[in-house]
Amino acid sequence: MAVYKRGYQRYEGPRAPHAERLLVLPREAWRRLTAQRIVTALLALSCIWPLLCALFIYIANHAELWAGLDRGFSRLLAIDETFILTFMKVQSVFSVLLAALAGPGLISPDLGNQGLALYFSRPISRLEYVLAKMAALVWLLSLVTWLPGLVLFVMQASMAEAGWALAHWRLGAGLVLGFWLWVALVALVALASSAWVRWRLIAGAVVLGFFFVLPGIGVLVNAIFRVAWGSLINPLQAAYGVWCALLGAEMPAGLSLLTGLVSLALMGTLLSLALERKLRPVEVVR
Amino acid sequence: MPQPVVELDDLHVTLGRREILHGISCRLGVSGSGRAIGLLGPNGAGKSTLIRTLLGFHTPSRGRARVLGFDCHKNRRRVLERIGYMPETDSFVASMTGVEFLRVMGSLSGLPAEIALEKAHETLFHVGLGEARYRTLGTYSLGMRQLARLAQAIVHGPELVILDEPTNGLDPAARRRMLELIRQMKSEHGMSVIVCSHLLADVEQVCDEVMILRDGLMIHHADLEAERRENRRFVELEVEGDSTGFAAALDELGAACVREPGGRFRIVLPLDFELRQLWKLAAEHGLSVRRLTQRRDTLEEIFMKAMGLLRQTPGEAASNREEMAPEQR
Repeated sequence: MAVYKRGYQRYEGPRAPHAERLLVLPREAWRRLTAQRIVTALLALSCIWPLLCALFIYIANHAELWAGLDRGFSRLLAIDETFILTFMKVQSVFSVLLAALAGPGLISPDLGNQGLALYFSRPISRLEYVLAKMAALVWLLSLVTWLPGLVLFVMQASMAEAGWALAHWRLGAGLVLGFWLWVALVALVALASSAWVRWRLIAGAVVLGFFFVLPGIGVLVNAIFRVAWGSLINPLQAAYGVWCALLGAEMPAGLSLLTGLVSLALMGTLLSLALERKLRPVEVVR
Repeated sequence: MPQPVVELDDLHVTLGRREILHGISCRLGVSGSGRAIGLLGPNGAGKSTLIRTLLGFHTPSRGRARVLGFDCHKNRRRVLERIGYMPETDSFVASMTGVEFLRVMGSLSGLPAEIALEKAHETLFHVGLGEARYRTLGTYSLGMRQLARLAQAIVHGPELVILDEPTNGLDPAARRRMLELIRQMKSEHGMSVIVCSHLLADVEQVCDEVMILRDGLMIHHADLEAERRENRRFVELEVEGDSTGFAAALDELGAACVREPGGRFRIVLPLDFELRQLWKLAAEHGLSVRRLTQRRDTLEEIFMKAMGLLRQTPGEAASNREEMAPEQR
């Protein structure tokens, strides 16, 4: 029967399990993200560097292609921590750009017209709401960070001599773990910015500012006050320090795993608090 | 004992350092009976705080609130699975179409995916937004958004629907439509409804029970349905002619009456008394009836009295006069 002839009937059948209900939000958020053509375009653009890296790995593992070249050239073609770090640095920039474009549209449309009361009057908690929204962004960022990284690692492992993967397991684990930390931070920044700033353009600028202006402020603080704690507000430096430690690469001067982790944890906590403060079903005037 | 829809037990709610609800205890409605409960009170009385506490947005500082047998704080998820809520504020997601909005809201409330879409269409047609269901909510008028908010509250077939100011800002036609939908929700679909409104006439039209709040306290709880039944026995009559023997004749028929100047009578009819007997009696005494109204206390009168702005309602006044009647006659 046509729906307009049927009339409203109260649904009294079985309900979907809670986990299934929660998937509605990331699906909806993903639909919003992919509806933006610029996000899709940037996503495609961010695949170029992994493709070049794949080509590099192919060349590095086919000695016959560069047999006639200088012997020192082989050192340049080594798949080691430097190669992984370079890959991570480039892809992390793309991840920030993607978050700046896609992130602002995640929470602000719900907040903008006081839609949060409608979500929170349903059986989902604030934490579940944030995690569900975050899941969509994390998935998007994963497509340009640890997923292609892992593919490259597997590719290299399959092309290199037997035992390479076992001997270099730290590269794979460090890449995945390092990117997970990075993706979590970028997603938190994007969500917090989406929650606090209504205008998408400005929210995107805030995300970019967090990663590209805040480090400058950190350096200024260190230089002006002759202190070291300015580095704590430098997300790039903190993440780079952690990546170096995880990959077993040489740590730049003034950086340590502990400082990096403390800095990331501090930023994560502050961003979570900012989200907690803003994402409430109703504003309470005390 | 039947399960109440809402059960409040010494409920205190504090926001910041200010206590908003100061210990409310009551039982409202009967689960599954399809009754509507009106929540009334002046601004700042604590109506919205009470509703938000029922929804688990605020945590009681003392006492407890139960909805459909579940504690609002401890069993929040179970409560919210059974509730549909239409907020007072203009809440919507502008970028979604009507169908998407309802599908998402229905799915979050537990409708299986394939059912959610079907119910979204069905509900939008039910509330009168069928033709606009593929338009984004941002393009809806205020009245349409109000209906969309009602639709999202009922799309998943809740046992209890909480409507916060449902007729706010609606034109007369849309208001009538909204009230009709509320009536249908309780009478045809067996949903319990809580209506929070400033418009007493709206509450009076759709509610069977009212709770009046003032300064965070419950000051009155009335079963309008019972009062309506009770009040059907009060009659105000105005006649022309010599009515000297009329009062005595009424008395003989068991109807207590108070005679007022200008041929007016306030009469309390016995249960088995039929109105045509009154017409017949008036005709027998050569009286022409100018006015006959079955008077009952309006919600406004009940509200005014609860607020302390009226000493007694007309119904109470009639009862008091009935008690005084023998001396007066």
